[in-house]
Amino acid sequence: MKAGPSPEEIRRHNLGTLLRFVHLRGPASRAVLAESLGLNRSTIMALTADLTAAGLVREELPRSPGRRAGRPSLVVRPESTRVYVLAFDVGVDRLVVARVGLGGTVLARRSTDLPRGDVDPGDLVGALASSARALVRKAGRDAVCVGAALGFPGIVRRADGRIIFGPNIHLHDLDLGTALARRLGLGVPVRVANDADLGALAEHERGTGMGCDNLVYLHGDVGIGGGIIVGGRLLGGEEGFGGEIGHMVVNPNGRACACGARGCLDAEVGEPTLLDYAGRVQAPGQAGREAVRAVVDAADRGDAEAREALHRVGTWLGFAVANLVNIFNPAMVVFGGTLRDVYLGSAAQVRSMVATSALAAPRDRVKLRTAELGDDAPLIGAAEFAFTDLLADPLQVPARLREAEETPVS
Amino acid sequence: MPATPVLELRGVDKSFGPVKVLHDVSFTAHAGEVTALVGDNGAGKTTLVKGIGGVHAFDRGVYRFDGRPVRPRSPRDAAALGIEIVHQDLALCENLDIVENMFLGRERSHGIALDEAAMEEAAAATLSRLSVRTVGSVRRRVSELSGGQRQTVAIARAALWDSRLVVLDEPSAALGVAQTQQVLELVRRLADRGLAVVLISHNMNDVFAVSDRVAALYLGRTVAQVRTADVTHRQVVELITSGRSGDLGPRA
Repeated sequence: MKAGPSPEEIRRHNLGTLLRFVHLRGPASRAVLAESLGLNRSTIMALTADLTAAGLVREELPRSPGRRAGRPSLVVRPESTRVYVLAFDVGVDRLVVARVGLGGTVLARRSTDLPRGDVDPGDLVGALASSARALVRKAGRDAVCVGAALGFPGIVRRADGRIIFGPNIHLHDLDLGTALARRLGLGVPVRVANDADLGALAEHERGTGMGCDNLVYLHGDVGIGGGIIVGGRLLGGEEGFGGEIGHMVVNPNGRACACGARGCLDAEVGEPTLLDYAGRVQAPGQAGREAVRAVVDAADRGDAEAREALHRVGTWLGFAVANLVNIFNPAMVVFGGTLRDVYLGSAAQVRSMVATSALAAPRDRVKLRTAELGDDAPLIGAAEFAFTDLLADPLQVPARLREAEETPVS
Repeated sequence: MPATPVLELRGVDKSFGPVKVLHDVSFTAHAGEVTALVGDNGAGKTTLVKGIGGVHAFDRGVYRFDGRPVRPRSPRDAAALGIEIVHQDLALCENLDIVENMFLGRERSHGIALDEAAMEEAAAATLSRLSVRTVGSVRRRVSELSGGQRQTVAIARAALWDSRLVVLDEPSAALGVAQTQQVLELVRRLADRGLAVVLISHNMNDVFAVSDRVAALYLGRTVAQVRTADVTHRQVVELITSGRSGDLGPRA
């Protein structure tokens, strides 16, 4: 039988819990922390002192003075400009890199267009690294990067973050994380995960799904990605390849999908299909999301072809949601990326399909919502993913980075 | 099923002279839900909303708020109960800024002076609670705002008070698609924060995108009040245009 946790483990756990609380919920007074975390005030004080010494939080007077009498309680605030991570979102036609501070504030970001189709892995790493370096250069002298993570629209192995296959970005079998970490040379690993999984995480922790432990997130960006949260945890399956809602077959006689199958949700609802139904060709230089929004806008103005296109796409999206509702009984289904616009433009059709195809019991209470973080959900999710190590063991990461700094590079 | 509806109307009648506009109308709105009120032009939607908001009294019927029978005789009575109506014309003053509009007629004072700081803080807090980031400074004049921003201010004004029920009359009628989307998400957030919301709309995508229940009026009668999850677009359109659809609607 395993012995109980050691005092050291308990302390580490409590430090992580406290840091996570102010990271996700914002500055809080010691009194609020004590109550929310179920710890006594002297423990909170000791933990706060440790985190302050490590440079992760600071204590200060509340910004707007309270109206109650007496000495105001000190507020514990995350060091959001000093402690940051790098978040990368590789989209099909754009790259976004952001420097995100502890507490979740996007401190700075850079976005670059990516030509569609074949991408040279070396060029991709180069473009990501140069954006990241430009952001790091602008950070203050005392700022420290504590982690990095990247969202990729494809199949990623959980164990090592290796990209196995990208249906819409032609890359396969690539260890992008290691290559990028080496180029950055910041002493932190770059974790890699599926972009929609990260979107699900972001909406669950900071978006419309806050406090909702069973949710399905659908992300539209050229193709369709999915992330499923069950019991508060991301569902990845045996190797982390799970949750590929975009490759759920909804129409066995349907359109060919980039993955090789036929009638996947990705193929029936993705951007090329919507544009094709609407009789549009993508204008050169126009980003995919703009083209999708133009169809929704045209439909709103009464364009019959655009309406019909949304109706057809909405039918397949509705089938997919009905299946997801039956299988996972989620409390919430969240539409993000371009699917936010597609859903709002075809909600009557989507919900009609759900009403006729889903079982009454799981359908009854499911909430269909749009992503509060919009296109940024995967980026914010990547930042959360990058903070994982720090939040698991708050004192170890800054110590390791300090050591690396003091050891001269041989 | 939530215990007591915030608003419950039963057997409501309303006539203007010889014209009977509402016959035996029933309608409920629950906390945390968006109830879409649909019906053709002239079906009685506006009359019903004006009755709820105390603009005119119903001739007959039960009007319960939080389970208690009430009889608001003016919009001020209704506001005191926690009922806010956002009319199509929004009723904003062009020459005043966002804070002044949100507190119009209900200004906070500090002694004999207006408490500008407190009002500004409350306005900003309400906008941020509703995740509204689109209006810029709360000291901007309404004349500088776009249609969508004005609608946002009008809705946020309704949420500023300790409102329990907010009624929105065609909030997206004059807006472009991007602004409509923002208004719809705002409507949804109001309900997700525990208010009862009634949304009048002709746009079926808007109705299906945000509502939890649909109440259909046909020629001054309630023909159905159903959960949105249980009906299709086609059924709702049939209820609006013919007053019945399959099992839904009054028995002949």
